[in-house]
Amino acid sequence: MPVNAVGREIPETIAGKPVRPFQGAFATVPQGHRVGGPLKTTRPGAGKLAPSLEEAIRRSGLRDGMTISFHHCFRDGDKLVLQVVDTCARLGIKDLRLFATALFPCHEPLVRHIQDGVLTRIEGSMNGPIGAYVSQGGKLKEPPVLRSHGGRWRAVACGEVKIDVAFIAASEADPYGNANGIHGPNACGPISFSVIDSWCADHVVVVTDNLVPYPAVPPTIEQGYVDQVAVVDQVGDPAGIVTGTLRVTRSPTELRIAKLAVDAVAAAGLIREGMSFQAGAGGTSLAAQEILARKMARAGVHAAFAIGGTTKYLVAMLKEGLVRTILDGQAFDGEAVESLRTNPRHQPITPGFYADYNSLGCATYMLDFAFLGGTEVDLAFNVNVNTHSDGQLLHGIGGHQDVAAGARVTVITMPTLRGRVPMIRDQVATVTAPGEVIDLVVTERGIAVNPRRPDLAEDLRRAGLPVRTLEEMKAAAERLVGKGKSPIFGDEIVGVIQWRDGTIIDVVRKVEGWA
Amino acid sequence: MRLEREAIAGTEERSDALVRVRPGEGLTIAVRSKSGPMYQERIEAVVRETLTRYGVGGAAVEVIEAGAYDHVIAARVEAALARATGGGEAFHQPLPLVATRQATARDRLRRSRLYVPGGNARLLAFAESFGPDCLLLDLEDAVAPGEKDAARFLVRRTLATMDFGGTELWVRINPLDRGGREDLRVVVGGRPHGVCLPKAESPVQVTELAGLLYELEGRYGLPWRLWIMPIVESPRGVLAAFDIAQASERVVCLAFGAEDYTREVGCSRSGEALLWARSHLVAAAKAAGVQASDTVFPDVEDEAGLRVETLSARNLGFDGKGVIHPLQIDSVHEVFAPSPDEVAWARGVVEAAEAAEEQGLGAVTYQGRLVDRPVLLRAKRTLAMAQALGMEVGNAG
Repeated sequence: MPVNAVGREIPETIAGKPVRPFQGAFATVPQGHRVGGPLKTTRPGAGKLAPSLEEAIRRSGLRDGMTISFHHCFRDGDKLVLQVVDTCARLGIKDLRLFATALFPCHEPLVRHIQDGVLTRIEGSMNGPIGAYVSQGGKLKEPPVLRSHGGRWRAVACGEVKIDVAFIAASEADPYGNANGIHGPNACGPISFSVIDSWCADHVVVVTDNLVPYPAVPPTIEQGYVDQVAVVDQVGDPAGIVTGTLRVTRSPTELRIAKLAVDAVAAAGLIREGMSFQAGAGGTSLAAQEILARKMARAGVHAAFAIGGTTKYLVAMLKEGLVRTILDGQAFDGEAVESLRTNPRHQPITPGFYADYNSLGCATYMLDFAFLGGTEVDLAFNVNVNTHSDGQLLHGIGGHQDVAAGARVTVITMPTLRGRVPMIRDQVATVTAPGEVIDLVVTERGIAVNPRRPDLAEDLRRAGLPVRTLEEMKAAAERLVGKGKSPIFGDEIVGVIQWRDGTIIDVVRKVEGWA
Repeated sequence: MRLEREAIAGTEERSDALVRVRPGEGLTIAVRSKSGPMYQERIEAVVRETLTRYGVGGAAVEVIEAGAYDHVIAARVEAALARATGGGEAFHQPLPLVATRQATARDRLRRSRLYVPGGNARLLAFAESFGPDCLLLDLEDAVAPGEKDAARFLVRRTLATMDFGGTELWVRINPLDRGGREDLRVVVGGRPHGVCLPKAESPVQVTELAGLLYELEGRYGLPWRLWIMPIVESPRGVLAAFDIAQASERVVCLAFGAEDYTREVGCSRSGEALLWARSHLVAAAKAAGVQASDTVFPDVEDEAGLRVETLSARNLGFDGKGVIHPLQIDSVHEVFAPSPDEVAWARGVVEAAEAAEEQGLGAVTYQGRLVDRPVLLRAKRTLAMAQALGMEVGNAG
């Protein structure tokens, strides 16, 4: 079996299709041209409003074996995926490929549709129960493919994934198909994940619970790409956007990690006028943002821009003038949505603008530094965000790969132990991001610097920061809990982890036992 | 060792384990681990090893593990065994020391003393990385009366296992007549550096504690003499502070506790109301040649307030301050660090003194002021602290 550039054995074909193994973060030279949807036209006076979602599905021409797509901007509050798949099941459509940008615990009822053969393939991130379910193996016709935000955009734009019918949940839409996610009672933030779907799908259905007279503005999704508009009672519950730990941690350990992370970028000289950063929405990242904001205010410097996942904490920095522009791919709370509506410096962006590998510009390439999490890191600085140490596929990639590859200094923050499970391993269970794009790993025990960055090691030491090797921190954690067993992986592939350029960086295999 | 009854110890909270032991024939160990099969066998081994240590031949043991480290599981097994057998001498034997540890100097830096509840596995889980000058594992106020026995075992295992780097390790025991003696018998086997004596009111308490320590050190062959930090937290204690500080060579620091003091006196917790007591305590400590450490600052959210109170403590002559949350450590350390101006002054004084000595001059002056012995000592202390903190101190010192 061929071994890729991070030492993982990758089969030559997966589900009958040839595989390109990962060769390096920027090794792939793209070939060919962008694809688009079919050419269509309309006449004055022609309407698009479907009488019901069911009728819209019928008129879309959706048949067995096709691919349907969704965005995840409602996160755990999404109500569209289940409505559509339930309706497909009722209509007797089966063998569908589900191509959502991400799935959440609220989508657990999809398990029944997998069992009944309505869904036989999934592509996209899986957070929680669906991931745990497919990790058991034998559930899907083809192993699910997980991509980063930028990777998914690329896959659609280059024709790697052909979407038959795109369903786009919108908190506001007009009968002509213009749609956005920032207005309406159930506003969820920019729905720009779906822009590429609208451009490339054979058929596009905008689904809203808030139909407004023409024109709905801003038209994140444009009329020219929309075949039908359907109205339902509710497309999503914005309360579900706030999933996970979207508030600043009070854990002394996580706060220590956050403080060390900020101290590290400060020591690297990155807290300066015109700086830029991405900070995630986990508790530690949010704490780091707060500490960063205080440090910036004290130093009297301003960030030219920050990229979100946006929360109220980043919005506060925008309001205070500490951040001049937010480039926002995804809103994580109501304050972020409100800011998108009212502040012109809070700019929604598409994943294409953010991180498309096959493009001449990515916002992530302009980042000075980024704080990212992970479930595990190994001694080669490879990071796992998809599986836990037990090999269960529980998390999506999100923008992790895109940001890690782009930022000048990528900082991974994680404790050395979660419960009694050590987070620094000889080898991660799954490689999501290769060590070559990771610069620092910050734990409560200190900061590990990738040997590729002796310049950073020097900066940190000069600032008196606790520079430790990953080996030292791993040993300190294992002194308390031992090594534990690792999963034995079988042959069956239950998940495919794509690098953002479309090569395969790792596959997740079914766990057969422990050793 | 024979089990007389069924007993449980621990909790199912994060980082802890609930252990149930029952008398039985042979050893049966059932483990339910939060991390699934990853640590199943290892946890069983930890339980078996602990049972073997106490010579338990017949027991049925059930463990519900929720992220507990090895030593926490062992401590919970010990506590359950002690409860099932009635305890006794076997449970006092010191543990092999896994952590590396060295004796500490009488006059080392003690800017911060962090209280961590001794019975709470979750709060102890990351205690290695907090980095206070002094860590106080608390068996007194922070532990419920019914959990003191289990907390002793957890504190002992934590001390023996975890590597706290340069932090000085203390145990706050209960008053000697209320469980403190049993606290000592168990925890000294974890090799702390010192013992905090709460509610110190008379020198007799200190000499009694010193005697007990002397006896335990001899019996168990402990590697160093344990220090004593009396905590003065009553008007009677404040009045006796000098005698308390002088009562034993082991006393290295007097700590002030404002909470009980204000209650007994009936005063507020304001700087004004506490000024006399704090100043008196500092004077008593310094007269006895020991350090003084101020009371804790109770509001974790109020960093500005913490800094103000810490600065006031420093200005009164305290050498350190109590903290109740790891987040307070940095502020306290920053306030107690000498400023660059102070370091420059100290360097100037020491250099002037050295120059005067070379020239055989009796009287030394610096910046027009006489440098007498106390001034020179203060300057040297400032430089030593600056050096210990890795500050730039120039060539003198």
